[in-house]
Amino acid sequence: MRKLMKTTAALAATIGLATAAQAQDGYFAGKSIEIVVPFGEGGATFVSAKFLEPYFEKHLPGNPDIDVVSRPGGGSILGANWFEQNAKSDGTTILFTTSSTANPFVLGQEGVEYRLADYRVAYSHPFSAVAYVSPTTGVTSAADIKNATTQLIYGGIAAAASDLPGLLSFEVLDLDVKSVLGFNGRGPVRLAFEQGELNLDYQFTPVYLTQVVPSVDAGTAVPLWTGGAMDGGVLKARDSIAPELPSVYEVHEMLYGSAPSGIEWDAFQGVASVTYAYGLTGYMHPDTPQEVIDLFAETVAAINDDPEFQQEALKVTNGARLNAGPDTEAAIKAALSPSEEVKTYLRDLLSTKYGVNF
Amino acid sequence: MLEHALTALDALFDPLRLAALFAGMIVGMVFGMLPGLGGVAAVSILLPFIYYLDDYSGLAMLLGAVSVVYTSDTITSVLLGAPGSPASAPTAIEGHALAKQGQAARALGVGFLASMVGGLVGALILFLAIPIAGPIVLMLSTPELFMFALVGLFFASSMIGKDLAKGLAAACLGVLLGVVGPAQAAADFRFTFGQVYLLDGFSLTIVALGLFGVAEVISMLAAGGGISHERMEVVRWGEGFRDFWRNKWLVLRAAFIGVLGGFVPAVGASASTWVAYGHAIRSTKDKSKFGKGEIRGIAASEGANNATVISDLVPTVLFSVPGGPAAAIFLGALFSFGYYPGPRMINQNPDLMFLIVWSVALTSVVGAALCFAITPALARLTRIPFAIIAAPLVLIMVIGAYQSTSTMGDIFMLFTLGALGWLMKHGGWPRAPALVGFVLSGPMEQYFWLTNQIHGWSWLTRPGVLLISSVIVIPLILSTIRWLRTHRTPGEEGPGDEDATPPESNRGIALVLAVTCSAMFSYALWEMFSFNPASRLMPSLAIVPGLPLALWLVIRGVREYENDFARDAGELTVLAVLIGYTIAVWAIGLSIPTVALIAYMLLYRARMRPWTAAIYGVFVFGIVRLLFDLLRGDAPVGALIALS
Repeated sequence: MRKLMKTTAALAATIGLATAAQAQDGYFAGKSIEIVVPFGEGGATFVSAKFLEPYFEKHLPGNPDIDVVSRPGGGSILGANWFEQNAKSDGTTILFTTSSTANPFVLGQEGVEYRLADYRVAYSHPFSAVAYVSPTTGVTSAADIKNATTQLIYGGIAAAASDLPGLLSFEVLDLDVKSVLGFNGRGPVRLAFEQGELNLDYQFTPVYLTQVVPSVDAGTAVPLWTGGAMDGGVLKARDSIAPELPSVYEVHEMLYGSAPSGIEWDAFQGVASVTYAYGLTGYMHPDTPQEVIDLFAETVAAINDDPEFQQEALKVTNGARLNAGPDTEAAIKAALSPSEEVKTYLRDLLSTKYGVNF
Repeated sequence: MLEHALTALDALFDPLRLAALFAGMIVGMVFGMLPGLGGVAAVSILLPFIYYLDDYSGLAMLLGAVSVVYTSDTITSVLLGAPGSPASAPTAIEGHALAKQGQAARALGVGFLASMVGGLVGALILFLAIPIAGPIVLMLSTPELFMFALVGLFFASSMIGKDLAKGLAAACLGVLLGVVGPAQAAADFRFTFGQVYLLDGFSLTIVALGLFGVAEVISMLAAGGGISHERMEVVRWGEGFRDFWRNKWLVLRAAFIGVLGGFVPAVGASASTWVAYGHAIRSTKDKSKFGKGEIRGIAASEGANNATVISDLVPTVLFSVPGGPAAAIFLGALFSFGYYPGPRMINQNPDLMFLIVWSVALTSVVGAALCFAITPALARLTRIPFAIIAAPLVLIMVIGAYQSTSTMGDIFMLFTLGALGWLMKHGGWPRAPALVGFVLSGPMEQYFWLTNQIHGWSWLTRPGVLLISSVIVIPLILSTIRWLRTHRTPGEEGPGDEDATPPESNRGIALVLAVTCSAMFSYALWEMFSFNPASRLMPSLAIVPGLPLALWLVIRGVREYENDFARDAGELTVLAVLIGYTIAVWAIGLSIPTVALIAYMLLYRARMRPWTAAIYGVFVFGIVRLLFDLLRGDAPVGALIALS
């Protein structure tokens, strides 16, 4: 039956790509690639993997058959551990994941068996986030954030997971924010914001565009800043998701008249770059040949140039592009191996302020 | 609005879309009947196929599967006593008891009709919801959600049964199982013993399957013979129809409870089903038949679970917040087709909204009709020796459990909890309160914590909170008034228990269970002191009453002790075989132990002739491997010998 499904899938893919009619002699000809997503089937990471699937099938040499498999559990640790034990080194197994997998690795949490910093980086897609605030706080723009008339209340899931960069941004900007952690997901957080229980929130790309932007238009939300995008190794550029908004870096300049620096900034930049700029990353086995990594870099360039991809991306992510190649890999690996100083800072902050046990 | 509704109906009646809808429905029916596999499995197996269809057909296919699961799971629950899905555990309790009395047709008839009404009410609410549900969902903030959980707990108290100590201890045990894993309030992982597997806590499917399914299968395997000793007539539906009509208002009320459960993200069908069941108990004068085959229990729970799974789509479509796990996958499918649910979708894609409503309504009716049609054939299965059905049934439960994380831990947990469920069944501990405690402990802790963090104590005076709390307070006041008038106890007799009444329970097993639970509670108490204070609240709610109760049951058990293990020796053997099977799968992979288990059941338990057993066994094994491949792609590989 699995064979049958595969055949059906292959057949349908062939029909779909009949017009493309590319040469069938590339590296991946006749192979199939398994993309492991360590989260549930309806989640944003799974949906993103499915969104990218047809473009990789179309542009990878040999048009491989791509299979997106969800392996949830342990807050993504189980799926990543599975990858550690089972990944093939010829580029046909990919771990597609987010900072929820990276943070436990960086923090050295119990149960982590995967060596994320040793993995090769095949490609990466930004997963931008935008901070916004309720008008009831009296805040009208990012520069005004220190003048809130009510206590700022931020809602999150868990300090050591995807909320970490958001919480660190409050440290960088030295804001007085009350953090309420323990929600089930960003969806319920968004709902609590709409209900007026929370007044400060971060939302990621697709939700920002489809849910928060309407609220901004209706005057019930004030957008503040984005996490920022990489520019020459510093997370200071504006993010294409909302180019009208400043980055956290710029907000610091606005508030304090100087560029952010120090341990808070180093920690924020490291954690935020794997959460936002390289939010969704496809990792491969450490022994994957350079040839395969190069093939993916070429494919990513071809996808970025594909007008169909550009059009769809404009709808879903406001036109974000994939990243690949040596610079991307170097940046991700650097973020995954922070200095001992940063690690200690993170662990201290998490255990004293948020009660995380290590 | 009407115009869009008609356009959508017209769009749905395209032959390809109808075919997709009904194909999805059939997959949903099959998965509903397989214990442990439900909406999530059905939807994830269909997911790869929908991408070859147009958007409406693909979504119709998923909706067909989602909306029929809680109709067809009634069949398994009633005929086998193993819940077809976690939310039909009350149906398994009442319906199977009725089936054993030869009244399967009555139970099934009421179950199907109640499911259908639940589905239709869900669809109607969805239809009305399109303009008005937004504000309602927005009114349900964390304090209101916490109150809902409390109401659930209040209703659940009706399930405690006659033996107060055992019932309360079981509820505490359920809460304790529910707090394993990440704490909501602070960054603690509780009772995980360093196992990554436990970082997410227990899966509801595995807890429900273990406590009810495995324990039931063990008893039936040991008893031999068919499931029903009476002849199970499933031809005369008349009585079922009459029962349904008599309880029509109960079904409607249950459906509304279910709808509210669906509005609340992450509370899900299980909680609302138990609340509806509790409501049925409270609203029935003669409670003595509950647990021994009460038709009102089925009417309420089936009305509720189908309504929940459909109204789960309301927060999904309006706010992009999935109401339940199957709805989460549906949400992913919507994204993939380029629909972004949210406040704007209602105006931008009104046709799609109505397509959802029609698909759900149509499937509810056709699905119920189809269930009526196939049941007589299925009921005949209950006459053949149970061991023949047990072989595939046990393995399907393994596969169902394996869906949670696809690691060996799923299979271990299934049989560990199965052993616990079996001990409870024979030790006279009711299992319903344990499951309710498990289901409600998560939302209660989460919403209490969030509420107190955000609002302090001011939330107690919110109008929504007062309104919901009246559901608890008014019945209490009424019964107090009645008590004052008559100057005697309010005559509330606890319902019978789904398990044996105390005199029938096995004294030896009761003692073993009390000792085990005392040890668990004591350990939990010790570990609790290492948590952040905020993470201690919920465990202490389980431990503080649980430990003394368990200790008292130990004392009582010692006093009443007699060595009657021999009475259940046959069942103990089966339990030992299943645990041996788990260890063998861990050591040498799936295939060899599975073949051995099939051989044991068919040759030794069912006493089939070798050749028939061989053919049937190969068939069962083939199906199992196929299901493993279809659902995940890889079966567990042995740790000692790396076979799969």
